Amino acid sequence: MNSVLKVNHLPALTYRFLKSNDSEIEIKDFNVKVVNTPEPENIPSAVTFKNDVTEKDITELFADINEKIASKRIGLPGPNGDTSLLNESQTVKTGMGAEIDNLMKEMNVPVSLITAEEGYKVEEPVVISYALNDGDYVLGNQVIHAKKNSEITVIMEYDSEAESNGFLGVQTRLLAEEGAKINLVKVQMLGEKITHFEDIGGVCDTDADIETINMQLGAGKTWGGCRVTLLGDSSVFNNHTGYLCRHKQSYDMNYVADQMGKKTQSNMVFRGVLLDEAEKTFRGTLDFKSGSAGSVGDEQEDTLLLSPDVINRTVPVILCEEEDVDGRHGASIGQLGDDTLFYMESRGIDEETAKKLMIRARMESIARMIPDEALIIRIQQFIRTIL
Amino acid sequence: MSDNNKSVVDIDRSVYDIKDVENEQDFYRMEDGFTEDIVRKISEEKHDPDWMREFRLKSLEIYNKLEMPDWGPDTDELDMNLISSYVRSKSDMKGKWEDVPEDIKNTFERLGIPEAERESLAGVGAQYDSELVYHNVKDEVAAQGVIYTDMESALTGEYADMVHEYFMKLVPPTDHKYAALHGAVWSGGSFVYVPKGVKVDIPLQSYFRLNAAGAGQFEHTLIIVDEGADLHFIEGCSAPKYNVANLHAGCVELFVKKNARLRYSTIENWSKNMYNLNTKRALVEEGARMEWVSGSFGSHTSYLYPMTILKGDHSAMEYTGITFAGKGQNLDTGAKVVHQGEYTSSLISTKSISKSGGIGTYRSSVIINKEAKHAKTSVSCDSLMLDSISRADTIPGMDIRTNDADVGHEAKIGRISDEAVFYLMSRGLSEEDARAMIVSGFANPVSKELPLEYAVEMNNLIKLEMSGG
Repeated sequence: MNSVLKVNHLPALTYRFLKSNDSEIEIKDFNVKVVNTPEPENIPSAVTFKNDVTEKDITELFADINEKIASKRIGLPGPNGDTSLLNESQTVKTGMGAEIDNLMKEMNVPVSLITAEEGYKVEEPVVISYALNDGDYVLGNQVIHAKKNSEITVIMEYDSEAESNGFLGVQTRLLAEEGAKINLVKVQMLGEKITHFEDIGGVCDTDADIETINMQLGAGKTWGGCRVTLLGDSSVFNNHTGYLCRHKQSYDMNYVADQMGKKTQSNMVFRGVLLDEAEKTFRGTLDFKSGSAGSVGDEQEDTLLLSPDVINRTVPVILCEEEDVDGRHGASIGQLGDDTLFYMESRGIDEETAKKLMIRARMESIARMIPDEALIIRIQQFIRTIL
Repeated sequence: MSDNNKSVVDIDRSVYDIKDVENEQDFYRMEDGFTEDIVRKISEEKHDPDWMREFRLKSLEIYNKLEMPDWGPDTDELDMNLISSYVRSKSDMKGKWEDVPEDIKNTFERLGIPEAERESLAGVGAQYDSELVYHNVKDEVAAQGVIYTDMESALTGEYADMVHEYFMKLVPPTDHKYAALHGAVWSGGSFVYVPKGVKVDIPLQSYFRLNAAGAGQFEHTLIIVDEGADLHFIEGCSAPKYNVANLHAGCVELFVKKNARLRYSTIENWSKNMYNLNTKRALVEEGARMEWVSGSFGSHTSYLYPMTILKGDHSAMEYTGITFAGKGQNLDTGAKVVHQGEYTSSLISTKSISKSGGIGTYRSSVIINKEAKHAKTSVSCDSLMLDSISRADTIPGMDIRTNDADVGHEAKIGRISDEAVFYLMSRGLSEEDARAMIVSGFANPVSKELPLEYAVEMNNLIKLEMSGG
């Protein structure tokens, strides 16, 4: 298969010269290995794991919630340069958009369904590990469904040997019913010759909560998208993303909090480090829809630039058609402050060591939120190795 | 509480909406549309030198090839075949106010332009439709060697070489579709040259009035502030409202030489049938400083993003802007800056108010090139929503290509807080006064940057009247 996918559309287009309106994934000689989602070693009680689900089943699963979304749309004009129609065909709107759905359908990628039963708060995480071998071209697709008042934690790890070639593209869709909570952790520690995409889309009903932790530490080229629709009143979306790009690695991301219900909350934190000739594009959007009265949204980006040859693109967007909201964005982009360096040096730490310390501190501030001690240690080791 | 927000009423623009009938006897009007014939006729009318005629024709060619951007407000209702590119009074430009034709004079008198000139300006240019009708500069300013004249005179007079050297070099016709259109049919505007070391203590002002229905105004402003010089230039714009679309596609090119300073202030109050597709750009050299102060209140649709290129080391820019989008308006405004030199700095601070279904979009770009070591930039954009039928969007973009830069950005969107209103009411203010005070406070960072009389004009423009709940 050879094709070019247009992904990560900015919800409202801006100047073309910024080259941030979307991104392209070029797929060459793509002999996809159609595999089921690797079965978790442990499936906690009150959680079911099915590998024989069709896209039609998923459409039915989301039918009620999509009907509610449709009924809340009141036909106000969108923002200037609105791109929402591009992803209209998606069963669940995702960060990367409809062309990922099309790829999954075209390649007949099987969908896995992970379900937390109603009323159960499952403490033990469901761990899914993709271990790529050299030459693997893998696509994966899961849906995580937290039924009413349930809670589930899913940890997905992506590993390979450092020198492996390959491709890994994963789409994960989330449905948090009323009062439910989904904790999704994604940790990517692939070799630098691997191309990777990570597409997430979720919907929260009333009082539901989606929490995502995303650590992108490896792969040569990475695309990441995450879009959560806060449909129900008092629903919540929290995201923490940590990324480390070095050599010629690139990371292109698109995060959207689509706030439709009343008193919804979104909080997105992005902490990253760019070294050598690394390149990053960040798109982050808070979208306050009409009817989202009382909602708050906050996105904070903190990027450490540690080489004169890095490229950092940032487009933090706030869209608003509701009066009674509070939306904020803050970005801080630059190198290590002189004060920090002086402090370190006055304690006998040289500049190189100080930089490494700061990189690790940033990454670990996100990693520490992962509810799996063994994985945290592996992340620390991975960072230590690559630095 | 939210119902009370509806009490913020539209701007009173009665003085701007007075229409003056333009009859065939006194006015010449080019047929509608943009064709090669029309461009040739304009060139002939204006006695262009050969290079300018060729430039116009080339620009038209580019215009016909370029597409409208897909990222901005919709311009489908702007039918270019129904826009006249050139309308002028049959009277020549005057150097004395009493010689200006009576009806035109009345318009500018109502807008307070001659009074402002007497009281607080070093020079005034007044453009009515496509041509300057009045241009004057105070003797003492002229004696310093300051040149302030209309573009047409500059093009053929003793500054012809200078105009040729700079004209549309900063905003080339290939920049975008309406820059190309401007290159083809431009008419009117001002040429300013401030010699080395000259500091013009009081501002120069050009006022642009588009009176004719279904017409376009394409004035070109070219300002060169030479080394160590200092200038404040003020631009005002207005038009009466018609039921047909009008188009403004002006172009402003500013050259700020080494260690010079230029402040460019704009109060834009075009009528709500106006498509304001204006381009402004400044090239700032070593140690120089560019300051933009911009108030956008009028227009049906705006695309307006003054751009600054910080070419020289230690050059700086500051942009302070406010946009008020009311009923039927889609105002897409902001700023662009490119850091090229070392130790350059930029500060962008904007305020946006949306009400009664208006769409206010803040859009910006900050580019820091690899060579721009030690660059600093800070962007702050605040939006205030006054009801739930409007839109307020912020779409800033940053492209940073060096680690040796300090980039800060913050954006906020919100409403008038109930707590603030309650606090002020507990101090004895009525609710409407409390709201008015909060909105005035929100706009204050812009109005305080304007000379007093213009701050008053701006405050009149955002005359936000409060009715009882």
